[in-house]
Amino acid sequence: MADTFTVGGAKKPRWSVVREHPSAAVSALFILVLLVAGTVLPMPYDPRMPDPFATLVPPSAEHWFGTDSSGSDVFSRVIAAAQVDLGLALGGTAVSLLVGVPLGLLVSSKGAWGERSVRALDAFQAFPLLILALALVSLSGNRMSMVIVAIALINVPRYMRLMRSEILALRESRFIEAAYATGSSRLRVMWRHLLPNSLGVILVQTSLTIANAIVIIAAMSFVGVGATPPTPSWGSMIRAGAENMAFGQWWVAVFPGLFVFLCVLCFNRIADALGDITSVRRN
Amino acid sequence: MSTATPPETTARDDSAVPESSGMASRSPARLVKLVGSRLLFAVVALFAVVTLSFLLVSLTPGDPVQVIAGDLATEEQLDALRTELGLDQSLWARYVDYIGALLSGDLGTSYYTSTSVAGEIADRLPATLTLTVLSMALAVIIGIAVGAAAGYFRSRWQDRILNSGVGFFQSIPDFFLGLVLIYAGFFLLGWAPAPVGQLDIIQLPPPSVTGFITIDAIIAGQWSVAASSLGHLVLPVLTLALVYAASFARIARSSIGSALNSQQVQYARALGLRERTVLRYALVEARSSVLTYGGIVFVTLFGGVAIVETVFAWEGLGQWALDGILGMDIPVVQGFVLVAGAITLTVYTLVDIAVAWLDPRISHG
Repeated sequence: MADTFTVGGAKKPRWSVVREHPSAAVSALFILVLLVAGTVLPMPYDPRMPDPFATLVPPSAEHWFGTDSSGSDVFSRVIAAAQVDLGLALGGTAVSLLVGVPLGLLVSSKGAWGERSVRALDAFQAFPLLILALALVSLSGNRMSMVIVAIALINVPRYMRLMRSEILALRESRFIEAAYATGSSRLRVMWRHLLPNSLGVILVQTSLTIANAIVIIAAMSFVGVGATPPTPSWGSMIRAGAENMAFGQWWVAVFPGLFVFLCVLCFNRIADALGDITSVRRN
Repeated sequence: MSTATPPETTARDDSAVPESSGMASRSPARLVKLVGSRLLFAVVALFAVVTLSFLLVSLTPGDPVQVIAGDLATEEQLDALRTELGLDQSLWARYVDYIGALLSGDLGTSYYTSTSVAGEIADRLPATLTLTVLSMALAVIIGIAVGAAAGYFRSRWQDRILNSGVGFFQSIPDFFLGLVLIYAGFFLLGWAPAPVGQLDIIQLPPPSVTGFITIDAIIAGQWSVAASSLGHLVLPVLTLALVYAASFARIARSSIGSALNSQQVQYARALGLRERTVLRYALVEARSSVLTYGGIVFVTLFGGVAIVETVFAWEGLGQWALDGILGMDIPVVQGFVLVAGAITLTVYTLVDIAVAWLDPRISHG
């Protein structure tokens, strides 16, 4: 009963999705605005321009988020950093998705080969992945492309594991058995039944991966790897402001931290909504 | 093809009942075989991890000698240093040396401090383990309690409140939460000790017996030191526990929630079984995914503790590895990868065995 997957059956008009998940819709809007704001909207100050006469100014009408210890406008930098951080996160996630899902399908085949690949995957997961990612980027001399590679390295095994566990569970279902019984080929079962039925899981995972990538990228630049000054990035801004926290100048670190938090919250909300939508349709 | 084996409907339904032990798949022979293959795998995987990490740090383009010697070093000094560190030899010779030394328990020496990597690890592991194990324990308690409650009250107001709390802590990066807690607990409220290290600066660590400062202090009867070390643990443990409890609660909520919606639970409800019994069935059904996720959380925690250690100047294994990475101290990075890999594999092996024992439906091949 719960096994059937009706793709076209219970389709509702699109706006009802927005109405039923207002927080996810607002989240998506927020992310879109952040992505374009740096280029489209005029910034009050040049994000890379220090001003030695206005260092560590608290938030005011002139500097909405205050200024940091070099006198750069925190608001302008936070907005400029959005494109750097979100761009890297989206890029890394896209690579993870495009590599991870096909590989995941591949290792879900029953038999010695799939089992062996998943063992290799497990061995790979024994790496401390954050340390591995940091080492990769740091040793390559802080190349931005290596940040994306590092994000993919962390997340491809996750996609593969997820796909495998989802498909191993699905394969025990009656309808898969029925599909085989009516003579469907393995490829057809994979394409027509297994993949569509894991679509919800994949979508949710993708949203979560973006959220996770944002945190990893912020963590990297927090310790001084990846996007580092003068390139504006949330992590390096938090790092710069960490010292100021001690003297009560909270705004330098709190605003970039808040934006990391908001972005992650948004993608988590979107993931929640995607989970709700897909599991509703599954019933 | 064995894919289409008739689904063992009865076994599936029985698995919700903990007393059912009549299944052939939970036989001791199967478990012994599983344990054996897992242990063998763990050893092979650790070897693979060590080899991969060696290749990784050796083949990346950066030149550690240049970084260590600094920009002012002459060509002769660089060559001398290269010879001293053994970096003038071929990759293969270095690999054979490294593995040979590893087998005799020698993890090499740090490029900077010339201290033995194994010794440094032994010194620092207790600090990191204290942090990770306490954080994990707290995260599990909070996570399962919150997750089970949210799953039980799914879609009701209790769930909404709990879920927004979970969403909050899941979205906040741990290092940032650490900074906020330092700001609140130390600067604003003043109840937390200065967030630098494991003890107050004026305090001497107790004589080392176990290496765990709190335990050593208790053994030596130095109660003020023990109290101070506990005080220093509060903020970092709270930071890690809140963040990881949130991700734990999420999985607990979804697996317990879906277990409560499953056919056997609906059936149990239809039979008029007590709510407590129904909840117990659901917990039993959810336990393998919760357990699997617990393993993953612990491993992530151990790998991710480095940055929180930096925030709190904890001087543990993670912070040491992070400094090693930034300074291209290759033996240090490899030493950390080895320890983290060993801990990860141990945890995954234990989880795999436990899950296979708890849930005979899952076949591993």
